[in-house]
This record gives sequence, structure tokens and C-alpha cells, in this order.
Amino acid sequence: MFAYTFRRLLIAIPTLLVVIGVVYILLFSAPGGPFDAERVVPEAIQAQLMAKYHLDQPYWRQYLLYIAQLLQGDLGVSYRYADWSVNELVASALPVSLTIGGLAIALSLVIGVLLGALAALYRNSWMDYTVMALGSVGSVVPSFVLGPLLVLAFAIGLDWLPSGGWDDFSWQFMVLPVSLLTLINVSTLARIMRASMVEVMNSNYIRTARAKGLPMHLIVFRHALRPALLPVVTIMGPLAVSSITSALVTESIFSLPGLGILVVNGAANRDYTLVLGLVVLITALVVLVNLCVDLMYAFLDPRSRA
Amino acid sequence: MHSLTPAAEPERSPWRDALQRFRRNKAAVTSLVFLIFVTALCIIGPWLLPHAYDSTDWDALKLAPSLTNSHFGGTDESGRDLLVRCLVGGRISLMVGILTTLTSIALGVVWGATAGYLGGAVDQVMMRIVDIMYAVPYLLIAILLVTVLGRDFYLVVLAITAFSWMDTARLVRGQTLSLRKMEFVEAARAMGVSTPRIVFEHIVPNLMGLVLVYATVTVPGVILTESVLSFLGLGIQEPMTSWGVLIHDGAQMLDSAAWLLILPALMLSLTLYSFNYLGDGLRDALDPKDR
Amino acid sequence: MHTLQHTLRAASFCGLLAWLASSSLAAIVPAGVQLHPEQSLVRNNGSEPETLDPSLIESVGAANLIRDLFEGLTASNAQGQIVPGVAETWRQVDPLTWTFQLRPQAKWQNGDPVTAQDFVYAFRRLVDPKTGSKYARTFGDFFFNGKEVSTGQKPPQELGVRAIDKTTLEIKTSHPVKFLPELVSNPNLSPLHAKSIEQLGREWTKPGKLMGNGAYTLQSWQVNSKIVLAKNPVYWDADQVKIHRVTYLSVEDGHVDVKLFESGQNDWVYMLPPGTYASYLKKYPKDIRNTPLLALRYYDFQTQSPFFKDVRVRQALSMVLDRDILAQKVTADGQQPAYGLIVKGLQGADPLGYEWANWPMTKKVETAKALLAQAGVQPGAKFTFSYNTSEYHKKMAIFAASEWKTKLGLTVELEAMEFKVLIKKRHDGQFEMARDGWNSDYNDATSFVALVKCDSDQNHSRHCNPVAEQLIQKGLKENDQAQRKAALNEAIRLIMNDYPIIPLLQYSLPRLVKSYVGGYNTDNQMDRFRTQDLYIVKH
Repeated sequence: MFAYTFRRLLIAIPTLLVVIGVVYILLFSAPGGPFDAERVVPEAIQAQLMAKYHLDQPYWRQYLLYIAQLLQGDLGVSYRYADWSVNELVASALPVSLTIGGLAIALSLVIGVLLGALAALYRNSWMDYTVMALGSVGSVVPSFVLGPLLVLAFAIGLDWLPSGGWDDFSWQFMVLPVSLLTLINVSTLARIMRASMVEVMNSNYIRTARAKGLPMHLIVFRHALRPALLPVVTIMGPLAVSSITSALVTESIFSLPGLGILVVNGAANRDYTLVLGLVVLITALVVLVNLCVDLMYAFLDPRSRA
Repeated sequence: MHSLTPAAEPERSPWRDALQRFRRNKAAVTSLVFLIFVTALCIIGPWLLPHAYDSTDWDALKLAPSLTNSHFGGTDESGRDLLVRCLVGGRISLMVGILTTLTSIALGVVWGATAGYLGGAVDQVMMRIVDIMYAVPYLLIAILLVTVLGRDFYLVVLAITAFSWMDTARLVRGQTLSLRKMEFVEAARAMGVSTPRIVFEHIVPNLMGLVLVYATVTVPGVILTESVLSFLGLGIQEPMTSWGVLIHDGAQMLDSAAWLLILPALMLSLTLYSFNYLGDGLRDALDPKDR
Repeated sequence: MHTLQHTLRAASFCGLLAWLASSSLAAIVPAGVQLHPEQSLVRNNGSEPETLDPSLIESVGAANLIRDLFEGLTASNAQGQIVPGVAETWRQVDPLTWTFQLRPQAKWQNGDPVTAQDFVYAFRRLVDPKTGSKYARTFGDFFFNGKEVSTGQKPPQELGVRAIDKTTLEIKTSHPVKFLPELVSNPNLSPLHAKSIEQLGREWTKPGKLMGNGAYTLQSWQVNSKIVLAKNPVYWDADQVKIHRVTYLSVEDGHVDVKLFESGQNDWVYMLPPGTYASYLKKYPKDIRNTPLLALRYYDFQTQSPFFKDVRVRQALSMVLDRDILAQKVTADGQQPAYGLIVKGLQGADPLGYEWANWPMTKKVETAKALLAQAGVQPGAKFTFSYNTSEYHKKMAIFAASEWKTKLGLTVELEAMEFKVLIKKRHDGQFEMARDGWNSDYNDATSFVALVKCDSDQNHSRHCNPVAEQLIQKGLKENDQAQRKAALNEAIRLIMNDYPIIPLLQYSLPRLVKSYVGGYNTDNQMDRFRTQDLYIVKH
């Protein structure tokens, strides 16, 4: 297992280099640059700016310069947020996104698995239909509708919670955003769990256990749950990454200073260094999370060990 | 759908079995009927209604729905009839939703099953490519596609497929890793069945249940992503519309003209719920182990 | 000569004193108004500032912050009038030379006195191409040698600013600039503390390090969340500053902005989202404010494109667009129709419009149809309209397209795109018709003339009228304001009769500000508010 982990982490390096290369190409192919603004920049000044940020160099040299800088842990300076380095921006946004995304994923895992399992065990009954209907609210009602509805109900109507903003991790500002993200993720997890659970409950060895007269709760918890969780865990990977890095709608509805806003503003403003810095972060997260998921396979399903 | 497990009872085709099981699932049947109804309504409806989807009426702005005038669904802030726009928008959303889901599922299944079955270095490389696709922000891909290929409607399908296939691929690969150790696969290999046949005739059918369910999970995301892209100028253009666009615009008018949100949101939600129940029903019906 | 000079100097000084006595400095609380014990304000700035370096700021939000953190030679008060800032008095010595007398009590946060050299340093830095400021030419061109410095032909030391002594600043302009006092109130022209910048480099704008001379100091800065400013006890007019703490939010979405207002977390909405003015007018009658701005909404013609080469085609399209319906029904937020380049309230030229502006619509349509026929454009002809995605622009575009379709039979292909893409297309001339808008940088007609002048970077329509151009050059050299205005009026008239753009509406700024925020004034047409001019009423 350690050798496997080590090999995977090693492969992460070329993966990262490829991702940076791809994003570089995409960024430079997009029309418009970071200095295009309503007020036209005078030529002499444009030349200065390009030289200052090495944008007058050929692409391959810029790429190498960036990698060299990256190796020293320096993600560069932002264009859009000109007073801040990308390191500072990521350092201030990451904890916010991690907290909100992390809490949401944990909650949606617990609730989603519960709902899906219940629906599977009471298949085709009213319990099944109702549970799935409730669970699916988050995917059927768009987040940019659900969010403002939550705000209308709890912040403005009942005045229990603030309608947005962020104040140094105080819990009141976290309740609504975490709820929104959880609602969205629960639906996916619940449906996958249900389908997976149904398959497992119909498999031969579960049937054997039932035929042998084992009590239901033992069957579910000791035999069915582990293999049923496999697809859930698979989907958790990308879901966790996107909850942390792409929760843009949640962040803009609740005005949270997270990574999602940085990613979109970076792309819209052609802020090359910011986008690349975020991409490095996202790649690291993706690699790490997918590695954990693959390691979980071995734990959950011995048959999949290579 | 055949496997090497012993046949059930003689003289009963597995398809008829599946149909029977499907019919027993009331929610799934209702959903199928509803979906057919909605699709027909979206295709034929606009021809039957008196207004065009793009005819503005500056004297009839933001009218509430009523049965007395010809605007059964009310009008939007440019005086356009809401009902006909919902139906025309439905055409786009359904088309994008179904087409994109089909292509991304197809790509994901082929990719994941191949990686999972072949294993080793091939698996590693294929899955690292998946990692790379996850890491690249989809906004950039979408912008580039529009820049390079122009503003065709089918581009939206391409763009959304480009970053939706990875989830299916990972899901399928995971399942394949478990399946390839099962006895029927070993038996097929012992019998000398070629690798592509094993993958496509033995492994994939056993995945279909999960994949079907995941397909219905994909549809809503696709429909909403289309509206985000259109909003950025990368999808359909005004005056053409879609449910996602209508809902996005309607959400802005919640205080003053709630019907602009409620009608398209209702249509979208009911359709998506139907896809969900249909997917679950199909999964249950087609599961060979479900007796 | 001596006596004459003395008399002139005395007269102008008396005039200044009289004027000074009548203008207000900092928050003047009307008699009988009780102040709230907690004098703190939360306002939304509309977006995260791109920087807090005065030389480099571009956005309205950043300008708002600089106005609180720094103080220039002059300042703009809550009514939009120009009041003394660091400079106590000033006068125009000759058409091209001004002197400013700085008040000795003006200090930097750390107690250092603000000197004339601080302004010299700041102005040179703004115009120096090495700094990379996008506003180098907007303001630099007014100074003697400004254009030469910003294009790299002369070093910054040659700029027409010098410190005669510690408290006297002399500015030489490139042509007569009667509105120089108003120009130097702009945040880009704030003084800078050279030592801080040289010592701290890029870090100098961070909280705890930023050295300003304004009524407030930078207490904390959370990117994409909020910026908190605290009252500066060392500010020379600190006694009059009522609000001791102001929080600037950076919410971009108008609906989120209003929701924060409704839940009591925000006192000042940046701008109402489109289509909501009528309903909020009913819901919050005491909090709703709407100010006409010195800004114009318009559409550009690409006058060199095949479809819009002919001036008759351009005139036809401009005539039939019903600006009354556009203002009252489509945008419905108190904006006024515009039939000319100059908006109401702008100094230096008159807000004149086309003579056909008040014709009945049927007559306009008839004339337009005839013009099109003469130009050989058939019904069914197609052109593209480019705009950047936004609900507001979309609504206007839909209206415009339907006007041209129903009245002239033309088909308009609407093309939405990201903002950066639109900017590039406009600069490269890669469009047929594009949506555009302009907000004045300073209160003078030349800010708008730049949109239609021959060699201007802001002229997206690529139209050039050489006769008008000569008139403009003549007008700019005039010191007599009446002559200058006449020349500019005529030049603008000539240009607008070539129909390079379609003027549509004068921007207005509908927003919600809690009724307990005192000092807010709808005469302030450039939306420049210093927090030191505001106060919180007891509520």
C-alpha cells in the first residue's frame, strides 16, 4: 500500500505539469488580456506592464519561468487583485471554502447514505418515494433559486440568521451556506446509495445470509453496507473537490470570500497567475482526494485489490 | 441482457420480465407518461398557442397569468408570452439534457470500463487524464471552444460533455474493478472470449443499473450548466431561451412577478423528478438479479 | 503694475474667502438632529477594489475608499461641490499657471506634515509610464508635458508641477483648464508619502502599513469580504468627522446586496438590480434614492463597416428608437432620454439634442424609412448587435431589436459575450453595432468629447470629422469660458449630425440608503461621497 501511494504521489508531478500546460494554452487562447479595460491603456504603459509581468516573452519561456517560480513556492502576483500575491489570496480563501465545503460534504454523506439506504430497504413503498422526493430537492430546484429562498425564509422572514457575509468563522454565517450545499449534494449521494444498496441486497451472498436466517440489522451493517458504499465513495471524490473549489453560486449568494469567486473572477479578468495558482491547488486536491478514494476501494471491497 | 448465470424459467424472455417489473413500479410508469406528455407539449404546443416566443409587447409588461386574455402564463418584462417561452425553452433543455447526457455517459462508460478492466499502467494513465480534466476549470474550456469553433448550438452539447464524462468514468472503473474478479468473467476468460467482448457483453450490462441512475443524476446538472454558459454568451442567444435561462431570469423577479419563476421552475422540477423515478424504475426492472 | 497686481490679488482672495465661508467642510449636522450613539456605517462598494494605490485605481469602488483614506488638494463634498482639501486657497495666476496654498495643519497618519513635494511626487508617479497607471493620460494630458511624459518622450521631472516651498504648489497646464480645482479633487491625484512607498514597495497598501492623510485609516482588509476603516485622530478636521468606523462590502450581485440591506447588515446598497426600482419605491419609500449621473448610455456604430457606412442608415436607426418607452417602460428606473452627447449637469457644453427629438413617432418612422430607401437598404437586411452579458443590457437590446424590426423591418442578431471580449471587439473595430456607456472622470465636456474626437482611444465608432476637430482644438486653447463653450457646442453639433453613436439615456443611480444615514444628497451627480460628510441619525 505504501509503495502504491508513493507511486501515485510521484505521478502527481507530471499530472500537474500537464494541467498547467493545458490551462496556459486555454488562458492565452481566450480573447482579451488582463489589461484590456474600458479606458484604453496608452501604448508606452502597455509595454511597461507587459514587460513587468513577462508577457512579452514567448510562451514556452513564460511557462518555464512559472514552473521555476512554482518550485520556490511562489505563485506570483495577481492582476485583478493587484496588491495581493496569489499565495495570500489562496491562503485567505482556502480556510473559508474548506470549512463550508467540508462541513457540507460530511453532513451530506451521513444524510445521503441514510436516505438512500432507507429508500433501498423499503423499495417501491411510499417510504421509498417520499424519501427520494425529499432528498432530490437539491438537484431539482436550482441552487440560485433554493439559496435566495432559504435567505427569504430564515434571514429576512424569521430573522434567525444573517442573510450573508462572513465574520471570522462565527457559526451564524455558516448555517445557511452549509445547508444549501448539503441539500445539493445529498440528492446525488442518496440516489447513488439507493441504487447501489438495491444491487447489493439482491446479490447472492446477501441472499444466502438471509436464507441462513441472519437478522436484518446484522446483514445491513456487517455485510451490505461496505460494498454498497463503494460507488458512493467514488462519487464523493469529485463532489468533495467541487464543493470546496466550485461552490460559486453558494459563495455569491451568501457573499463568502472563498475559492469559487476567485476562480471565476480570475478567468473573467484573464488573471493568468491567479487562475494558474488556483489550478495548482485544485490539481493537488484532486490528486489527493482520488488517491484516498482508490485506497478506500481496497478497504471496502477486497475483490478489487489488484 | 444475457449472462452466464442459469436461465430463470424456460420460455420467458428477459425483456418481458423487465417490462412486467417496470409496470409494477407505479412511480416509474407515471413518470414515463409525464415525460412523453411534456415532450409532446413542448414540440407541438408552440404551434397551437397564439403568440410567438419572441414577440414583444411593450404595453403588456409583466402581466400575471390569467384565463381572460391570451396570455395564460402571463408575460415577462418585455411583454413576451411566458407559456410559449416555457415550451420553446423546454425543447432546448430537453434536447441539451438528453443529448449531452447520452454522449457523456457513453464516453464515460467506455473510458471507465476499459481502464478498470485492463488495469495496470493503462488504468493509471487513463485515470490521470481524468484527474487532469477535473483540475482544469470548465469555464476556460467553454470560452476556448466558443472562440475556436464559433457559436453553434451543438457546441453547448460538446462543451458540457467535455467536463461531465469524468464522474461516470470513475464510477464505472470502480465497479469494473469489483466485477472483473467475479466468476462469470473468469469463466468467459477461460473460454477464450476476447477482451472487448468481455467488457461490452459481460461487464457493461452489469453496470447499467448504476449507470442509468447516474444518468438521471446528470440531467439536471447539464440543464443548469447550459443556462450558466448561455448567460456568459457561450450557449443559446436571445431571443431563444431555455428552462435554465427562464429560471435564472425569473429568480430576479421573485418580488414583483413570481410567475416568471414558478412556471418554468415547476416544469423543470417535475421533469427532473420524472427522470429520477424513471431511472430508478429502469434500474430495478433491468436488474437480472431482481426476482 | 504693482498696484494692479495687489488689487487683483486682494480681489481674488476676498472672493475666495467669501466663497470659503459659504461652503461646508466635513459633516455639518442640521440643528435639532439627534445623533445615534453608535456612529458606524456599513456600505456596499459594488466590487472588490483592484488596488488601494491611488496612482493605479480604476474603479468607482476603489475611488470611494481612496477618498476616505487620502485627501487631495481639493475635495468633493456631499452636495458634489468642490471644497478645500489639503489646499486652503488657490488661484489661477495666468491662463496656464495655478498656485495652491497648502494648510500647515495637514498631516500624514504618522504625524509628518503634508508638503507640496508630496504632491509633486504623486503627480509624477501617476504620469510615469513605469508606474503603469491606466489613468496616466486621462489626467496627465492636462499638465504641461503630461502627454510627453506618459508616452515616454520626456522624463517625469519635466512634468509641469513644482513645489515653490513646503506649502506652495505650482501647476502648469498644457492648455487653459478653468476646472483644474475640480480636476485635482480626483482620488488619482492624491498626495503620496514617498518614504513609505520606497521602503515598503508592493506591501505599502496593506492594513497597518498604508500611509494616508485622509479622515480614515485602513484598519482591516479581507479580500472579497469587507474593508474596515477607522477614524484618523490626526486628521486636521477630525473634530468634524462624526462617523468613527465605516465598513465597505464587496458584493457584486444586486439582489444579494438588497437582501443584506433587508436583514439589517447593510446601510447602503450600491445599485438596485434592474427592473426592481418600481417595487422598492413602493416598499421602502423613505430609503429609496435616485440621482441622475454625469454618464451616458449609448450604442456605437462601426462607421467603417459595410452596413453602417452610410450616414442615412445611422440616422434612420437613431430616429425610430423610442427613448420614452425605453426610459419609462423598459428600464423604468428614473433615467432620462438622451438625444445628444452632453448630459444634464455637465459643465463646459450645453445638453443639446437633435431637432427631430420632439417629432411624433409616425413622422420619425416615415422619415427614417425614406432615408433607408435612399441608402438602398431593403427590409429583411441583417446586422449584428454586440453586448456584454447583463440583465440590463439584455433588456435594452431586446427592445432596440424589436423597434428596428417592427418599424424598419430590419433583422438584428443579438450577440452576448463576456465583458473582456466586448472590450476587445470594440477596440479592434470588430463589430457592427455595440453597446457602450461612459461615466465622466471629471466634470467637464471634454470627458465626453473624447468619445467622438478624431484620434481618441475611446472613439469606438472610428468616425472623424476634421472640421469639428479644428473647432475642438480652438476651443481648448480658449481661456474665455463662453468662447470655449460656443466652440465645443458647435463641434459637437457637427459631429452628432454625422450620427457616429446613438445616445440613449442619461444614467441614473437608483439605490437604497437607510433613512438614518444623514448627509446623503441627490445633487451629487458624480456619486462621490466622503464618509466624513455623513452622520448617523438617532433611530
